[in-house]
Amino acid sequence: MEKSSPVQKTVVLQPFVKLVRLVARAFYDDYTTKSDNQQKSAKSDNRGIAAVVLDALTRRQWVREEDLAKDLQLHAKQLRKIIRLFEEQKLIMRDHRKETAKGVKMYSAAVAATTDGRAEDKVKLHTHSYCCLDYAQISDVVRCKLHRMKKKLKDELEDKNTVQEYGCPNCQRKYNALDALRLISMEDDSFHCENCNSELVVECNKLTSEEVVDGDDNGRRRRREKLKDMLQRLEAQMKPLMDQLDRVKDLPIPEFGSFLAWEARAAMAARANGDLNPNDPLRSQGGYGSTPMPFLGETKVEVNLGDGNEDVKSKGGDSSLKVLPPWMIKQGMNLTEEQRGEMRQVAKVDGGSGGAAKLSDDKKSVIGNGDEKDLKDEYLKAYYAELLKQQELAARLNQQEYEIQLATTSPGRQVAKKAKREEEDVEWEEEAPVAANGNYKVDLNVEAEASGGEEDDIDWEEG
Amino acid sequence: MFFHIVLERNMQLHPRFFGRNLRENLVSKLMKDVEGTCSGRHGFVVAITGIESIGKGLIRDGTGFVTFPVKYQCVVFRPFKGEILEAVVTLVNKMGFFAEAGPVQIFVSKHLIPDDMEFQAGDMPNYTTSDGSVKIQKECEVRLKIIGTRVDATEIFCVGTIKDDFLGVINDPAAA
Ligand SMILES: [Zn+2]
Repeated sequence: MEKSSPVQKTVVLQPFVKLVRLVARAFYDDYTTKSDNQQKSAKSDNRGIAAVVLDALTRRQWVREEDLAKDLQLHAKQLRKIIRLFEEQKLIMRDHRKETAKGVKMYSAAVAATTDGRAEDKVKLHTHSYCCLDYAQISDVVRCKLHRMKKKLKDELEDKNTVQEYGCPNCQRKYNALDALRLISMEDDSFHCENCNSELVVECNKLTSEEVVDGDDNGRRRRREKLKDMLQRLEAQMKPLMDQLDRVKDLPIPEFGSFLAWEARAAMAARANGDLNPNDPLRSQGGYGSTPMPFLGETKVEVNLGDGNEDVKSKGGDSSLKVLPPWMIKQGMNLTEEQRGEMRQVAKVDGGSGGAAKLSDDKKSVIGNGDEKDLKDEYLKAYYAELLKQQELAARLNQQEYEIQLATTSPGRQVAKKAKREEEDVEWEEEAPVAANGNYKVDLNVEAEASGGEEDDIDWEEG
Repeated sequence: MFFHIVLERNMQLHPRFFGRNLRENLVSKLMKDVEGTCSGRHGFVVAITGIESIGKGLIRDGTGFVTFPVKYQCVVFRPFKGEILEAVVTLVNKMGFFAEAGPVQIFVSKHLIPDDMEFQAGDMPNYTTSDGSVKIQKECEVRLKIIGTRVDATEIFCVGTIKDDFLGVINDPAAA
């Protein structure tokens, strides 16, 4: 659980992880869950706890808060307090779900697919909270925070936002700019004393041009020095953070999506892994992305192709996914070939633990035994195409009403619809051979996924 | 900032308005009385948008005037510290300039005008940058930020600044 799949760490995530770690140490280092008067002994001093939690979150995607507490050996209440702080600070996304057996399974599968750990299986079935770092928002929030800090100091230094004061040279009365309307004289458009009608002069509180030195001014000057010093220290101490922000600025931001979307995608990827023969060496070498890729890239795919019809979409998705590997490799410059192989190895195991192990075994018996690489190649190509279609459809189905889907289905999908009705009888094992022949089966799966709803992943388990 | 709120007011109506147009008379009197006024609490009443309810009238002893409690919806404008407003310059002097955003008057003192703008006296007093590219004078439209408000029972006055990012002249009809 502590370790996550290497892809997240090395490829896109790493600069963001560093950012989060810097933020944790810059702003939350002395955060403590204890109130001040509670902090008596050094033993109860849990400063730095916020940094520990943030660091742990960088090694995860979505995580059940209870599990996180267990991993960190923290009391759940304590952790929740910290998590709530981060939620307020807009560093993390949170989601709460009334747990069902299905939900637990979904989550376990998703965790297994995205990390090489496992989620706690024995979970009590009540409402659970999940949290995840929101990298996009973090970089914005931190940028804004730094900007505001600097601005506040600078404004105070430059005497901005202060109401100008005026004094009467004759009777020493003091006025300020809020009195302006009463002071303005119609004769010469300047300010006049209400008391003696002599012309007012600006009370100079610009500290730089101060010549008279009295006690009050000394205080002001000291204050100004202090502000200057603070500003300088701010610049110096925040330098690493600002540098990291600049570095991260133009990088694509890792996004995990909402909890449900993440879970659905993870489950899908686990299935995809399971479907493909995981021991096939071709797969490890192929340009097609590794398990976690859909978590990183899929949002983009959808945004780009939101309007297109189905065919266009699947084609677009296809090409964009094919384009993706260089995109990823560009990020992970220190990613070696072996690492990638290693990572897939991990992914394979995950796919198995994600509940699709048997499936993959079945698959292996179908294609794994064939010696001819061409055949494999072609099979894989066709299969990827279908998988992509399936993924996108499923993603869409997650968001759209099933009815809408039906209303817009093409005749081809009608077949699938019919098949869906018989879904209860259809065992996965029976479907598998069909799959090898054509795309009929994939459509059916998509429909089954959408309509199957609750039994969906249980089906997978059985398979 | 603008708000759409419900306010209440006791309206006194002269008996000569009684009759089948009583309601219309009441509403038009309400509009005349309320629109354009300012209360420190709610700000300026910009417009009445509807009548919520008109309560039972109470005849005042000895006069024949009747008091109706009227609840009405209205749009109010209440400036806040930190708010950005667009305003029209009404007067420029060496102390700074005055501007109006609807019913609100705002004063921007010289030290809250960017340092590179100098005061130029004359027929048309103004603040101008050294290269003459930006000029603040009467009728100019400026975007400013409110840094202070003085709220009295019947009056709101603001102090603003244009010494910040994206503030300053946004349109000069004289230059156009
Ligand atoms: Zn005086």
